Order: sequence, then C-alpha cells, then structure tokens
Amino acid sequence: MTMANAGRPLEGIRVLDLSRVFAMPYCGAYLADLGAEVIKVETHHNAFVDTTRTLNGPYPDNKPGDLYYERGGTFHTLNRGKLSVTLDLRSEDALEVLRRLVSVSDVMLENFTPRVMRRFGLDYPNLKAVKPDLIMVSNTGYGHSGPWTNFGAMATALEPTHGTGAFTGYLDVDAHGNTSPGTVPNKIANSYTDFLASWTAQLAVLASLIHRARTGRGMWIDLAMYQVGTSFMGEGLLDFAFNGRRARRMGNRHETLSPHGCYPCLGNDQWAVIAARDDEDWLALCETMGMADLAGDARFVDPVTRHRNQDALDAIIAGWTASKNKYEVMNLLQAAGVPAGPVLDGRDMLKDPHFRARGYFESVEHEATTGLGRQEYVSRGWRMSGSDVRIRKSAPLLGEDNRYVLSQVLGLDDGKIAELEAAEAVGQTLAGAQTPSAVPLARQVELGWTVDYDEEYRK
Amino acid sequence: MVARRIPQLLPLNGVRVLELGGHVSAPFCARLLADYGADVIKVEQPGIGDEARRMGPFVGDDPHPDKSIPFLYLNTNKRGVTLDPATTAGARLLAELLGSADVVVENYPPGEKPAPMLETEYLAKHYPTLIVASITAFGQSGPYRNFAATDIVTTAFSGLMYHSGDSDREPLRNALNQSFYVAGINGAVATAAALFRRMATGQGQTIDVSTVECLASHLVQAVPYYSYMGAIKGRRPVRGSGFEELMPARDGYVIPSVQGSQPWSTVAELISEPGLHDERFASGSGRIEYGEEIYDLLIKGLAQWDRKALHQASGERRLVFGMAQDAGDLHECPHLREREFFRTVSHPVAGEVDYPGMGPRLSGMEYEVTRAAPLLGEHNGEIYGDELGRSAEGLAQLRALGAI
Repeated sequence: MTMANAGRPLEGIRVLDLSRVFAMPYCGAYLADLGAEVIKVETHHNAFVDTTRTLNGPYPDNKPGDLYYERGGTFHTLNRGKLSVTLDLRSEDALEVLRRLVSVSDVMLENFTPRVMRRFGLDYPNLKAVKPDLIMVSNTGYGHSGPWTNFGAMATALEPTHGTGAFTGYLDVDAHGNTSPGTVPNKIANSYTDFLASWTAQLAVLASLIHRARTGRGMWIDLAMYQVGTSFMGEGLLDFAFNGRRARRMGNRHETLSPHGCYPCLGNDQWAVIAARDDEDWLALCETMGMADLAGDARFVDPVTRHRNQDALDAIIAGWTASKNKYEVMNLLQAAGVPAGPVLDGRDMLKDPHFRARGYFESVEHEATTGLGRQEYVSRGWRMSGSDVRIRKSAPLLGEDNRYVLSQVLGLDDGKIAELEAAEAVGQTLAGAQTPSAVPLARQVELGWTVDYDEEYRK
Repeated sequence: MVARRIPQLLPLNGVRVLELGGHVSAPFCARLLADYGADVIKVEQPGIGDEARRMGPFVGDDPHPDKSIPFLYLNTNKRGVTLDPATTAGARLLAELLGSADVVVENYPPGEKPAPMLETEYLAKHYPTLIVASITAFGQSGPYRNFAATDIVTTAFSGLMYHSGDSDREPLRNALNQSFYVAGINGAVATAAALFRRMATGQGQTIDVSTVECLASHLVQAVPYYSYMGAIKGRRPVRGSGFEELMPARDGYVIPSVQGSQPWSTVAELISEPGLHDERFASGSGRIEYGEEIYDLLIKGLAQWDRKALHQASGERRLVFGMAQDAGDLHECPHLREREFFRTVSHPVAGEVDYPGMGPRLSGMEYEVTRAAPLLGEHNGEIYGDELGRSAEGLAQLRALGAI
C-alpha cells in the first residue's frame, strides 16, 4: 500500500449505487467520503430518475433554472463524491452493461421493491452468479419476507408505524392550563427513519467488507426500514414486554428530571432548552435566574416536588427566558454548569462558532454549468485521526461519467458506446423533463413551509 | 443422529472491544459491534456500575440496578467486569485488558477520564494498533466541548429539534434518548471503517464522535434551505391537506399519503369518501390550494377506518400509508414476528421476555442473543481468573483492595 492512499479506509472499493431518495443514496455518499469509488447508476428518463434530482430542491436563490436537476441542494448533500452513469434498464443492452459492472464491483446498494428487482433479474441470487462475493444491500420498507413484504413505504409514513409517535408527542393541556400525558402522537422531523436506515446500512456494509476480507464470502443485507426503526425503539418495546406500558408522551419533560423543557426566548420562533439533572443544577439555575428564594419554595425543594409542580415551575422559567436571547440563556447557564442550549435552526447551525471551529461543514466547488459555485454541506458526526475522510467532490451531473464507466471501467469500444447512445440506453439530458415552478419564499412563509428568509443570506 | 450445532462465523468474531463509560451512546455502539460478533467486555466501576443501571423505566417500576430497562436493552451479548482504574491493582488489570483489545469504545466527557492511561494520546502511543472511539456530546474540540448536556440539549444543538413538532407550538423532543442511539451507531460505523483499514495497514486510529454532529447530519434539507436560498425551514405547518401527517382514524392515528406512483383516484377510492373524487385534488398544487377542503374530507373518510385495516388496504393497493403504532402493537406485530425480529432473553434478576433484535438481516448470519445484560462484575472470575491467570486468592485480594 502506498502512502498516498493509506488514509482512505475504502480505497480500491467500488460501489454501485442504484438507490434513490434519501436513505441509501446517503449511505453511498458516506462510502464515497471514506474513499470508495461510488458509481450512481441512474436514468435520464424523467419518469424513473431519482426524485431528489427533480422534486426536492432547494435551488440557488429559489430559481430552479433549465438545469434544475443538477442544482438541488438536498440532492447534492445526498450524492456528493459519486460518479454518475445513466442506464435505461428497460433496454436489454443496458441491463447487460449493468451486469458487467456488477462483475467488477464490490458493493451494490438498491432500494427497489422486491418485485422490481426480480423482474429485472437483479435480485441477489442472480447477481451472485455474476459476482460470487458481492455485498448487496436491498433496502425496502418492510423487507424481503413477511406478510407486508410487497408494501411500498416512505420514511415519513413509516416513522410512526415503527413507534416514534408512541413516545413523541405534546402534553395535553386543559382549559386551566394543567397538563397531563399526551394522547396525540407526533413525528420527528426530516424523514427520521431514512437516516436510521442509512447508518444501519453503512455499518452492515463495513462489517460485510471485513467478513469478505477474512472469508472470501459476500453478503446479502435485507434491510427493512420498518424493522430498523423498531430496533431504535428498544427501550419502549421492552417497557411493554416487562411492564405492559404501551406509550409515554411527555412533551419535552423527562421521566424523573425537572425542570426539563423548551422555553421561549426573545425573537420570532426562538427557543432554549434547560435540563436540571440534580439539586446542584437546580440551585445553580435559581442563582442564575436571580431567584435564589425559589430554591426554598416548598413546591420545588426536592426532585419529587419539583416533578409534581412542573406546570408552575415551567411558567416561572419561561418568564425568565422570554426576555433573553437563546444564546444568552446558553451562556449564562453553561457558565453555571447547567445543561442548557439554544434550539438551532438551519441558519444558526451554519453560523454557529462550534460547528465552524470543528470544520463540520465541508465545501466543494461545483461544475460551472450548474451556477452553484462553491457550496458547503453537512459532513459526518465523526473524525478519524490520520485518515483522509472528507467530501471529495460534488454530486455528479446526470451521466457525467458515462464515458469513464463504459470505456475505462468496462473497456467498451467507441462503436459500442455510440450504439448505446443512439438507442437512448444511456444519455446525459433529462428526457421528458419540465422545469418546476418555485413557490416564492414570501408565499412559503404564508403557507407555513418556511419560517422566515434573508435576502442577504450570502453575506 | 444428534444434530451438532456448528458455531457460525460472524463478521466481527475475534475482535475484542473494551467498553468504558456508560449511559447510552458507548453501550449502544458496543452492543452493535457485539451483534456482529465482537467479544465485548463492559468495564464498570466496582460497587457503582454504569449510570444506566439507575435509569428508568425499571422492570416492575422497581429501581434495582439489574432492572433498568435501558440497561437491559443496551447490554446484551456482552461480558461484564468491574475495575477501578484509580487503584494500582485495577490499573494493572486495565493495562492487561487494553493489551488484549482491538477496540476501546468510551464516552467520558472531555477531560474527565478516570485514569491517565485512558487518555487518548496515551492509548495511541502505547497501543498503536488499538482503535479508540470516543463519543461525547459535542466532540473533543470546539468552544462547546465542555458544555453540560443531556439528550434534550444535544437534540436542540443538532438542529433536529427545531424541525420536530408543530409550527404553532414549541419544538418537540423525540424521546427514548435518540440522540445517543444515533451517536452510538455512528461510532460503530467509524469503528468498523477503522477496523477494515487496519486489516491493510496494521495501524490503529482514534475516532472523535460528536453526538450533536451525528444528529445534525440528518439535516439534508434544512441546511441547504439556508445555504442555497436564505430560507429557514421550520416545523410542520398547522394548515395543509393532512397528507403525510398524522390524522385521526376510528381507533387511533394514521398517515394518509399521496406518495409512491399511484394515481389520485387510487387514493380517493381507498379512503372511500365521495367528495375526494375531484380532479381539483389530483395535482400537488391543487392539494396545496384546496388543502383545507381536503382536510375536512379526510377527517370524514378516515373516521370510517381502523388503522391496521387501512394500512393493510393501502399496502395491497401499492399506496404507502402509515399508522401510529404503540409498543404493544409492535410487540405483537405479525410482520415482525414472521421475520423473527424478537429473541427471548432470560435474565436472572429481571426475568424472561422477548427483546427486539437486530435491524438488518444478513444472509448466512443468524442473529443470536447468547447473553443477557451482565450483572455487576459477573465475569470477573472468568476474565481475570481464566483469561488473565489470577488465582482465587488473587481475586479475593483484588476484591479486598476495592480494585474490582
């Protein structure tokens, strides 16, 4: 091994990424960050293209433009570092190209329904015949077995199906402002299950690579997002198994700690959280709020009474936070050792000194035709010493690497490539595309999709 | 003929992991590695143990150190020892364990390692093949690294909380310590990557996991919303058609959905509310424009359905409706049962119930729970005696010294 590549854990590993939307594309992006060559196998036909190219945006200055499918910020986050080859799998020639690609790849990611993969002959038994030690992730809503196997799924609907809503929900509030455990389930933002599936797939692929290096054997990973999501609800499921408790919705409160909540701060939709772990935190909080007397109040003298009187306690704390900036709440309380912090939004995160100091956002230069210039993206929650793990390049243009893949990787001659192009089996322009219209930001604010916007955000 | 069970070869068999610290993130990370076959030794403080032993809920609501439900879930397939690294004898045992380990997973706050030999620099220098994964709230560097944090604080800093809940109410925490689970699995991903790399280079690595940044990596929409166009994405709007949101059915909540590739008429037919058969509702822009009208029709239509029947009917029509299930629904779920998701685990103090198992299914690999969560110091004799060669008297002496 040369020094130059010693720092890329997945140097020399080739990944075929046939997946779409969030969970598996993000897995592919992380494998690219780790140094794998990740080839996104997509199509240039609008009806089958990855919908994050066409439906998600956001676009620079909210202007999709003619090349909108090369310009979406969510697509670029989820597909950074990859190469792109377009193969229209309805063509037998394109399918043959894909099978040849499988034979020279190590890992394949896909999230079609079991039915579709069998129809294309791209299910694991067929591909194993082409590449005996292939590692393949088949990501579906419900997995390749069981009574719901053919049900389609998407993360936002799966999330409460695997139990998040049993443990996430506001408290009920009566006419007098008294609270009781919540009866209405709520959701966790941002397609939560997609990300659980992505982390789970990454771990399974890496474990399988270790296994293959030791045994020479490949692996098929049947990743059911419903089951993955449930595995993160383990504490709740065991509470049922042992105690028969089906749900527990506590708003922002905690089983035992108090105060424990989310409090309004100065400004539009500004909030801070505060959590007192023990009497020491509680005394420090009273001191910081300038309410030392509160510590002696009979309603709040110990954890049990504080927990019982949280409605009154939360009102007092909210009265104190309401006149303060959320960062001021953070600074005052953290200086006193009390767990507290601002509820950060997207703008706050991009400007926050801690994320900045750690270099959390990684930037890449985009291809000139996209007009994106240099943009920065969320990276990873971890760093490895001495490893060159980073976002290597931007997401690819549609079919950007057709030539490289067909000619360099597979060794097809120019005649064969021209034939594929003429038959529309490969292509670089989105066929049947219609430039989406963007809803103006002012209208988005009215609709409640957007809280606010800055005209001067580039500064 | 007697069928002889051949032990299966799991991907991480032969990899030894020492788990130090406690609570949720490092134990979950190590549990995942154990599920893939690693030999995980959980190291706890003598007489005190992992703080998760004092975390509720408890079996029978009895706050006993072997009845913490989070602890029981997070620590299957591990062996447990006790040692106090602040004692000379305990430090010697720890050094021997470190010498036998491939991976250390720990989650001490920065600057709060219980012994100098657990400092990352020391480990990297003296055990160059060791992989050290350190999981903290904010990471090992940066201005907030020493901030006090619990799960609600890390979730707030991550940006995830701002987008959770309803736009007319405060941001809402997602319960069950999710930030630390997400940090744990990210720690396992980085550890596995380092193990794979070590097979080529022979070198260990140190890994710095930030819980806040692991969750922040979920924000593939909210961050570009601002960096691309200056917009601040918030919580779900209170107005809207009700699709992709939790809506009341007869016996609970469902999520009606127009996603997937079925035409509007399939959706309208399923819900069987006549008013929904209207071409104005067939497009996305129409559903925005007439959102409140659709909402009222959905309320009427869904009130005729039980959630499980609707979910079944949706699946059969290739629609992607969801439903709100509670822990009981999941425990009894016929789909999870047929996929053999649960494993019956017997624990000497807590008793025997079905535990949720492993998320993915891997070909040729049967997920097994071979051990329930360890009692405090349960494997001291096995590891210090049988493996590190301490005699019975030696062990008694270690106990008397408070080293174990």
